[in-house]
Amino acid sequence: MSKPVIEVKNLEKVYEGAVPVKAVNGISLTITQGEFTALKGPSGCGKTTLLNMLGGLDQPTSGSIAIGGVDITTLSENALIDFRLRNIGFVFQAYNLIPVLSAQENVSFIMLLQNRPKEEREARARQLLEAVGLEGKEDKRPGQLSGGQQQRVAVARALASKPQFVLADEPTANLDSQSTANLLDIMERLNKEEGMTFVFATHDDRVIKKARRIISIEDGKVLSDD
Amino acid sequence: MFKLAWRNIWRNKGRSSITIAAVMFCVIFAVVLRSFQVGVWEHMVGDIVANNFGYLQVHQKGFWGDQSLDLSMDEAAIDWAAMENVPGVRSLVPRLESFSLVSTGENNRGSLVLGIHPEEELSGLRLTDQLIDGRLFTPASNEVVVSEGLAEYLHVAVGDSLMFLGQGYRGASAYGQFMVAGIAKISNPELNKQLVVLPLETAQWMYNAMGLLTTVVVDLEPNADFAEVKASLEPLLGADFELLDWEQLFPELVQTIEADMAGGQIFVTILYFIISFVLLGTVIMMVSEREREFGILVSIGMRKTTLAAVTVLENLMLLLGGAVVGMAAVKPVQFYFKYNPIDLSGQMKEAIEQFDFEPKLYTTTSFIINLNHGAIVFVIGLLVSSYAVWKIMKLNPVKSMRA
Repeated sequence: MSKPVIEVKNLEKVYEGAVPVKAVNGISLTITQGEFTALKGPSGCGKTTLLNMLGGLDQPTSGSIAIGGVDITTLSENALIDFRLRNIGFVFQAYNLIPVLSAQENVSFIMLLQNRPKEEREARARQLLEAVGLEGKEDKRPGQLSGGQQQRVAVARALASKPQFVLADEPTANLDSQSTANLLDIMERLNKEEGMTFVFATHDDRVIKKARRIISIEDGKVLSDD
Repeated sequence: MFKLAWRNIWRNKGRSSITIAAVMFCVIFAVVLRSFQVGVWEHMVGDIVANNFGYLQVHQKGFWGDQSLDLSMDEAAIDWAAMENVPGVRSLVPRLESFSLVSTGENNRGSLVLGIHPEEELSGLRLTDQLIDGRLFTPASNEVVVSEGLAEYLHVAVGDSLMFLGQGYRGASAYGQFMVAGIAKISNPELNKQLVVLPLETAQWMYNAMGLLTTVVVDLEPNADFAEVKASLEPLLGADFELLDWEQLFPELVQTIEADMAGGQIFVTILYFIISFVLLGTVIMMVSEREREFGILVSIGMRKTTLAAVTVLENLMLLLGGAVVGMAAVKPVQFYFKYNPIDLSGQMKEAIEQFDFEPKLYTTTSFIINLNHGAIVFVIGLLVSSYAVWKIMKLNPVKSMRA
């Protein structure tokens, strides 16, 4: 049996306001090594909030999140940033690359933050860009790449730090069909060949069809887990 | 990190150019303003002090306050050799100075009478460069050189006679008839209105003060520190003497300079306020434009302190660029107006002349001013950058990525 990568227990997130909103309402789940999982649900169901908490970008109101056995809700801000750097890869809806850096530099940058040697950074960045089908585009800046190409750079960047898993928030929302198919093929291949764990927050059927585990969320609760 | 900061500078060339230009012009304006202010005073002090009165003067104790010949000192009581050997001392200049009524018979005026050895004098009173008519008096003769303003007032020309009437040493009568050998234009307007210069021995004879001096001016080597020289000279003088530096000799001049400098500082401070807000505007724009990117960087694992350091580094490079260009660009302006001062005219000229100041605006070429103002603007910029640091340190990555 694969080892658990993410273990969530009784997770709650309440947004305070005139009327408090419970965005995540008592979710417990476990994600194991090598999963290709989609969190699906309508807009506002709480899937992005859940994903942000799994990535340590947002703090839960209550409950615990253990990643590789470490409860990240107890970490200090800097410890959490360092933890994200070494354990979690992110792919965002809007690519979110650094506009002044080339494709290769964007991928290398995260390894630079990890203080890895220059030779290793360059070699791994080239290898990852090749793996996502962007050989020859290493020196292009984000503005010189299409949306699909930028998202592939984002995938390469997410993998650069050798994370335990990759969180992808609506990664195909801004892509056309062909780019979406290419991106999903690449992520599926990385999942199968390298055992990389992917967790998507999506309501894109094309992503959901590729996922091997689908967790449906509605009103902040897990509706089904197939 | 340096590469990231460097590239960030050029991602918005317009904003970076505005920041560099704002810093540059602020440095230029502040330095020009201060250079003129310091330059005018430097020139004035140089003229009054370095060329005419000296940075240090030795008198019999109490002379400078009373200006009385009775407080003259004996030439023999001074250890000339020891004083001349003090490092920083170029020479010692003996003088006898007093007042006298100077008359042509038709016109007369109370005048400052100065007995000197022209060849030993400070540059402003060597007279060879200042003569506009006639010649220098011959040593120990009954000849005098009259300042231009006094000559005009008395309507005297070279070859005319002047009568002197005053009080000499210990109440003796001091009078004599002297021939005008030359007329000199003294750069200091106050002196130019009332000065009569004659050979030292002639002045001592007229004032019945043979072997006596009122003043020994300490002429300093270039770049010598007058305070250090003063400290070295003091032990060589007995208790009967006073050694005064130029700030003690002309306290009202020092006060005027300080008051003027304070006034100028107000203008420069206003300028700094303006530049602070210009820089703050560009930093706020920069933070606002890049809030989302800051959120991404923190999300993927960049510590906020590192991100803040990159942002400060960017600002640091922009500020340094603007400050250095400003400091360098203003240099030719400083040099030009040092040697080509602005001649004031009209009411401003009259107002300045009322205070016996030369109505010309000089600049100083001292690089310290450039460095000071470059550094001040640089520090202002760094302080303004703290806004970006503050925003980054309280950044919430999720909210920022939604920006």
